[in-house]
Amino acid sequence: MDDRRLNGLWLLPVAAFTNSTFAADYLSASEAQKILLPTADRFELKSVELTGEQIDKIKELAGVRQRTKNPKIWQAYTKNEVIGWFFVDEVIGKHEFITFAAAISSEGKVLGIEVMSYRETHGGEVRKPEWREQFRGKKLDNPFKLDVDVSNISGATLSCRNLLDGVKRLLVLHKVLNLNGG
Amino acid sequence: MVDKYRRRMRPLLGTYVEIGLSRAFQNCDRTIERAFERIETVQKHLSFHDPRSDLSRLNSARGEEIAVHPMSICALRLARVITWRSKGLFNFTVGAQLQKIGALPIHESGKKLMAGQADDLEIRGKKVRLRRPLVITLDGIAKGFAVDLAVKELKTHGASSSGWVNAGGDLRVFGDLTLPVFQRNASRPDGELPLLGGLRNSALATSETSGSNSYQFPGKIIAACGHSTEDGIWSVIAPSAWLADALTKVAGVSSQRDREFAVSRLGGHLIQGAEGEVK
Repeated sequence: MDDRRLNGLWLLPVAAFTNSTFAADYLSASEAQKILLPTADRFELKSVELTGEQIDKIKELAGVRQRTKNPKIWQAYTKNEVIGWFFVDEVIGKHEFITFAAAISSEGKVLGIEVMSYRETHGGEVRKPEWREQFRGKKLDNPFKLDVDVSNISGATLSCRNLLDGVKRLLVLHKVLNLNGG
Repeated sequence: MVDKYRRRMRPLLGTYVEIGLSRAFQNCDRTIERAFERIETVQKHLSFHDPRSDLSRLNSARGEEIAVHPMSICALRLARVITWRSKGLFNFTVGAQLQKIGALPIHESGKKLMAGQADDLEIRGKKVRLRRPLVITLDGIAKGFAVDLAVKELKTHGASSSGWVNAGGDLRVFGDLTLPVFQRNASRPDGELPLLGGLRNSALATSETSGSNSYQFPGKIIAACGHSTEDGIWSVIAPSAWLADALTKVAGVSSQRDREFAVSRLGGHLIQGAEGEVK
């Protein structure tokens, strides 16, 4: 075994890990807007209230339920010309909601998606108080800054299906609300 | 301090891919973007699920020579060499077996052999062909390979930076950063999430194996050598993510007696046994 491989693994005190490391906020709405619609110079928040009929229609066309009556939708402009729509939505991951953003063109084409917040607990076990309790009172005398630590759960391959279903649902929403053409 | 690293996540490779990069240099966002683009390229060319990918075209070519992307050549060479060097403990020709049990989709027609050998794949310049009717599966090493390419991109454009790429547990860390890593084991009755340690300038991959054919078990590792898998979670540390991933398969199909040696002989380090204890 060469040194490099052995040095690759530093055993750490468990205190290097905190509960907060199971949540990660990747982007704010405005950051996601800039990434997904970089040419837009203005985003206008639209006030939308879906009717029961529209919610049923979305379920019928998308195969998944539209949870909220008030989806978060922005219209994106470049020099007063509508260039597309920006949505912020949530889907359930394994146990927790994943917040994501999607940009959809006026023609109903997905321009991109971004994960904004990921709160997955990688199994319900970490929500158990006794599991969290084990970290209480541990010393922090380790080589890390706590807030640099990122939880990486090796072996946790997650299905992206719910997110893909979520994007499909937004495309249906785009259609049901007649957002084509601005 | 958390702001020291820019983190982004995208659904790619059938999982969630997270990239972290120190913000200490300019063009951090653009560099992350480029790294995601590299991963998308791997997905495009090496996805087993996409019938238009180089991999699917190779499997459907009925022994004809086909031209593929240079990156595909590189991944296929790696798969071939580890199949050969591991004496089939990792075997990239068992795709038909995985299709038979429903673990992988079937895009091609015709009768296929259940397993072959490393030299059943012929590589000539930018062209490849299969000498026998086999189904090639790059399994998780394509995911690890994508992680390696993404890290290369991050390092090229942010030479003095540090960061990581994590594709559903295929993780590689580089630069002046030590990342704590935990291992998930859904079958542990105590629900404990054991800490493996801190990862620095290395790659780590984990695969779970099961001796049973439970439909709830998502993946399947099959060795052509006739070894059967036992229940276990295998985490391997290696210089690159593709190798770490391949060696988790080697660990999964090795006998208990040979496991540690088999992995270390091929350049990896098995860091956890089936019981979840840190060694």
